[in-house]
This record gives sequence, structure tokens and C-alpha cells, in this order.
Amino acid sequence: MFDWPLLQQNAPLLLGALWVTLQVSIAALVFGFVIGIVVGSLRLSPIPLLRRLGGAYIFVFRGIPLLVQLLFIYYFLPRVGLPNVSPTVAAIIGLSLAAGAYIAEIMRGGFLAIPGGQLEAAGLLGMSDAQMLMRIRVPQAVRLTLPALVNEMILLIKASSLVSVVGLADLTRTAQNLAASDYMFVQDYLMLAGFYCLINVPLAYAASLLERSLKERTA
Amino acid sequence: MNSLLIPGGNVAAPTRETTRESLDEPMKTNGDQSPVLTLSQVGKSFGNLRVLKGIDLQVQRSEVVCLIGPSGSGKSTLLRSMAFLEEYDEGEIRIEGQLLGWQDTDKGRRRAPQSQINQVRRNVGMVFQQFNLWPHMTALGNVCEALRRVRKLSADEAKKRGMAMLDKVGLAHKAETYPAQLSGGQQQRVAIARALAMEPHIMLFDEPTSALDPELVGEVLQVMKTLAKEGMTMVVVTHEMGFAAQVADSVIFLDQGEIVARGTPQQIFHNAEQPRLQQFLQNYLDRNAFWQDAKA
Amino acid sequence: MTFDPSIFTDHLGDIGSGFLVTLGTWSSGVVLGLALGMLIAVAQVFGNRFVRAPLRVFIELIRSTPFLVQLFLVYYGGPSFGISLDPIPAGILGLGVYGSVYFAEIFRTGFESVARGQLEAADCLGITRLQCIWRIQVPQMLVMILPALVNMVTVLCKETAVLSIITIPELTMVLTGIGSETFAFVETLLMLCIGYLILVELCSRLGMLLETRVGRFMSRQPR
Repeated sequence: MFDWPLLQQNAPLLLGALWVTLQVSIAALVFGFVIGIVVGSLRLSPIPLLRRLGGAYIFVFRGIPLLVQLLFIYYFLPRVGLPNVSPTVAAIIGLSLAAGAYIAEIMRGGFLAIPGGQLEAAGLLGMSDAQMLMRIRVPQAVRLTLPALVNEMILLIKASSLVSVVGLADLTRTAQNLAASDYMFVQDYLMLAGFYCLINVPLAYAASLLERSLKERTA
Repeated sequence: MNSLLIPGGNVAAPTRETTRESLDEPMKTNGDQSPVLTLSQVGKSFGNLRVLKGIDLQVQRSEVVCLIGPSGSGKSTLLRSMAFLEEYDEGEIRIEGQLLGWQDTDKGRRRAPQSQINQVRRNVGMVFQQFNLWPHMTALGNVCEALRRVRKLSADEAKKRGMAMLDKVGLAHKAETYPAQLSGGQQQRVAIARALAMEPHIMLFDEPTSALDPELVGEVLQVMKTLAKEGMTMVVVTHEMGFAAQVADSVIFLDQGEIVARGTPQQIFHNAEQPRLQQFLQNYLDRNAFWQDAKA
Repeated sequence: MTFDPSIFTDHLGDIGSGFLVTLGTWSSGVVLGLALGMLIAVAQVFGNRFVRAPLRVFIELIRSTPFLVQLFLVYYGGPSFGISLDPIPAGILGLGVYGSVYFAEIFRTGFESVARGQLEAADCLGITRLQCIWRIQVPQMLVMILPALVNMVTVLCKETAVLSIITIPELTMVLTGIGSETFAFVETLLMLCIGYLILVELCSRLGMLLETRVGRFMSRQPR
């Protein structure tokens, strides 16, 4: 059932595509993190309108299937005067917007876990809201939510399998192309699954380690 | 020999009701003289720690036995072994002659199948320190559950018997209440009713009042006293020395997994000879003797 | 951006059938996932280690790979194992298997949340394992795990969009098809977005309603 020479021939191609998948996922995590902090802060804002705004963002980007979001962005960008957006950029925008919604919920939890007294103390010392956010809230929230953020990375790597719809030759698309030419569906797709496990299983292990050490420190 | 002691499932089901109803008459199989519960050389280890060492004990019909002892003495483990909630690993526990929990095979002792364990302990009722009521069922639902699912009674019959049991513990008016809305004392009385509904031949109580606020202890002890008066066979792990002194036929003092002393309440509480028992009782008195402080 | 409603009125029949396919694959996938998930959870909680170890590996594998890849394995890889499925059964099987491991993890935490003493009490009264699971553990853990279950059900709703890739004519496939026919991509995709938002929102509203229903008796947990 397995064709070893073919496997050896295909593996380097997939390895190259893995790099594309990783690039897109990491970029989306970084931009999603920025969006997440902004939206997460909005959700906790004292101003009701801003809270609503944050809530609406999360509602929309968590409620729509990622595949549909990616398609929408791909066809929508040319309409608003950006006709030559590369598939990579479209994919990163799509993934980041969605990741932002999930990370916002994670960060909101992290922000809420910080005792209010700390912020009062910072306020009394004359720190501005922005300073408080960047110097006090974000560093602590990140430490508290690190396991959840690693899990978000796993979700992003899996979600990036859908970017082929905007024409990006990621891991999944490359395997699809290989399978379409050599008809070794089981072998090619099992190898594809193996590549995802190669990244995600260690990440999942790291997340559980982080979670345990976090529990020990806070206990 | 084993096959004689553990009857097959085919004779089990129909005999239960009839044996109970004829409890007052001498029973042919067991006879009134045979003990309800027999422990011989029972031992139990958790890893390297031997928590029970060679326990011998017999409980006669209608006898009330109280187990006392410091915490960690093994008294709860011993009681839980009697319902096979703990797997004792040495000796034998027999309930009305039947070996509990184990069966002998060519390759040595093996855990008996669950159906056989249930068959042996069907006449054992258990009451827990933490009540262990099922919070998603009403008081009546808790009492009726096993009647419906295990005894296969009809809904009406189960309800009738369930109400009678709740009435017995003085909680008929709380039948439709969920455990969360009952006081601790009321919850424990429902738990007693739940066990009684199965018409056990012996009731095991594992520190039934230890989780209760002091003012709620009395109502539970009262129910237990009534049971004892009606002739229920009982084994009670307790810290309530007053209850033990008043109600028990015999008191057993456990320390470090061994029976250190046993006797009537008079012998244990007033003529204690063993130093460890004397020390235990002295500690108990010191803790509870607020009136002595006033004198001093 | 001009909006021409005739795009939709002209294809009302197609959209309706796409919606039904989405609902059908979603609900079948959820039912299959719940059933498989319960089986896995029971096997994990009550099974010995020879049962638990392979299940653990299976769960890790499914959780580490994208749904799309699993779908490819079932649909394109299936024939090599003698399982040739049409797109819709393959999609339902894929959804069910994918959902089952997440449902199983939810059920497992649920089982562990029910206090041991309650099971001992049942044990002493002669209530069997199976009766205990259905009558005592499941009703209680439902209250606790319902939010997580509802969340997973909405996740599966969104995953049905991926089924379009293996040519299942569900909502996404139908509407993108209309889009490429009329070149009104943005309009049709916007419609699609709104459709999914309504579905997901309805599902979580229903879940919240259920939560208040089921949670009524648990106003104050003893223990």
C-alpha cells in the first residue's frame, strides 16, 4: 500500500510547504494578538459603546466559518481598491481577523484575573491608561494566558489548512496537488496529517506543561 | 465449599422479600443465633502502610456496635470494607455467611464479579459522613431510585414505600424538595431513609454526624436511636461518645489498625484498662469539658 | 456597490436545498459525534489501560490535524480501505469523528465532576454501573458541561462550510456557485455570512435556554 520511493520524493515538497503554513500561522498569531489586546480591552472598557463594539467584533468573527471569511476577504479587497493583494497577504489578513476574536476572549480573561488594586496603585502613581495597559496589564495577562495562547497557535495552524481557497500553496494544498497527480491518496494524506502532528503534538505538550507550571505557581 | 456459600443468581431475586417479612420468625438458613456479620483476620494495606491488622469481629442480629478511635485509626476503612467500598486484602468478611467481595479460584483469590458483590451486600445499608445524596433528584426521588431500578418496583409501589420511609425519619413533608434546599441534618435523614427503603438486615454508619453543625446532630442521632430500639443491626463509626454509651451493646476501640479494646459501654467508658484507650478518652474529655474550666 | 435582490430570488430553490443540506449534515454530524464521544468517554473513564492508551493516541491525532485533512482521508482515502462513500455520508462521518474527540473530552471532565461519594452510595444500593452513568452521572454533568457542548455544536455548524470542498452542495457551495455565476461574489458571500451568524446565534440562544432549564434544581450544590 505504501510506495517508499514516492514518499521520499514527496516529503521534501511537503517540508517546503510546511514553511508556508508556519509563516502564515505565526504572522496571524502576531497580528491576531495585537487585535486581541485592542478588542479585549474594548470589551472591558467603561464606555458602553466601546464594549458593544468589542462584543460585535467577537460575535462576527467567531460566528462566521473561517472558510467563508477567507473567501469574503479575497473577493472584497479588490472591490475596495486593492486589486493586487497577494494570496499570502489575503490569507494572513483573514486568519488574523479571526484569531483576533478568539485571542480577545483569552486576553479578557487574563485582564480580569489581575487584581484591581494594582491598577488603582498605578493610577495613583500617575500612569496613563496606555502605560497601564502596556506596562502592567499586558505582561501579566500574557503570563496567565500563555497556555491558552499556545493552544490558539495550534488552532491557527489547523485553520491555515483552509488558505488554499485564496490560492496559497500551503501544506494541505501541496498534498492535494501531489495526490491529484500520483493518486496515492492514503499515503499522501497520511503524510500530510503526520506533518501537522509533527508541529501540533509538541505544541500541545508544551501547552499542558505551561498549564501545569502556571497552576503550581498560582496555587 | 465456595459454591455453597454463594448462591447462584437464580435463587437470589425472589427470596429477598420473603426472608425480610419473616424476620421475626427463626430463619432456616441462618438461624437467629448466627451472626449477621463476621470478620476474621481482616487486613488492608495502602501501599506499604498497613491500615487494618487482623481484625476479628462478629455482629449478632439486633446488636448495635460502635467503633471509636482516633482519626487515622482505620475505623472508617474497616466500616467501608464491610460494604466492600474498600477492597480488604487479607482475611474474610462474611455477611449472613456469604463471603463478601472475593471468590477463590485455582489461581488464588480474585475479585468477585460485580453482580455477585451486589448480591452479597444487598442486605447491607450504608450511611455516609457526606450524605452523598444525588442532588438532581428530590428527597423522594433519592429514596425511590434504587427501589425502581434495582428492586424493579412499580412507580406507585416505590413511591408508597419511599413516602413511608421519609415519614419514618420525619421528612414526609419534604418529599418534593431537592437536597440543596435541605439542612445537613435533613439531608442525612433522607440518606438514612434511602438506605432503609431497601430493607437491609444491617446498617453501617460512617461518622453520620461529623459533617453536621452541632445543633443538627441531635435529630440524626434520634432517628438512629429509634432504629436501634426497633431491633436494627447496626455498626456505627462515631465520635459521639454519648450516643455510644447510651445505645451501643458493645463498643470497639481501634487504634493504628488494631482492635485495642472491646466491651460493653460500661467496660469501655468507665473501666478502661488499656493506656491507649485511657489516653483517647482523656483527650475526648479535655476537649469537651468546658465546665471543668469554670471550676478551675 | 449596487445590490440586486434578484440574485437571491432567482435561486431561492437552490439556496433552500443548500440550507437543508447544511442542517442535515450538521445535525447528523452532531448526533454521531455525541454518540461516539460518549462511547469514548465511558471507555476512557471505566476502561483499563489497554483500552485507554489507543484511545488517547486517537484523540491526540484527531486534535492535532485539521478537519479538512481528516475529511480528505475519509473521502479520498476511504476507497483504499474498501469504504467508498458518497460525499454526504463521508462528510457526516468526518464531522462525527472530528466532533467525537472534543465531545469525549467534555464528557470526561463531566464524569470526573460528579463526587465519588454519590457513586459509592449508588454502588451500596446495588445500582449497576450503567444505571449509575445514565441516572446519576449524566444528568448532573449535563448542567456543568452544557455550555461547552453548545459551543462545540456551533463549532461543528461552522465546520460544515468546509464540506463544500469535497463537493457537498451545502449552503457555502450553493452560494459561492451563485456568486461565480452572477459575479456578485461580495453580495452572495455577505448573505452567507449573515446566514451563518443567524444559525450560530440561534444555536447558542437555544443552548442558554436549555441551561436555565436544566440548571434550575442545582441552585446550591451540596458537598
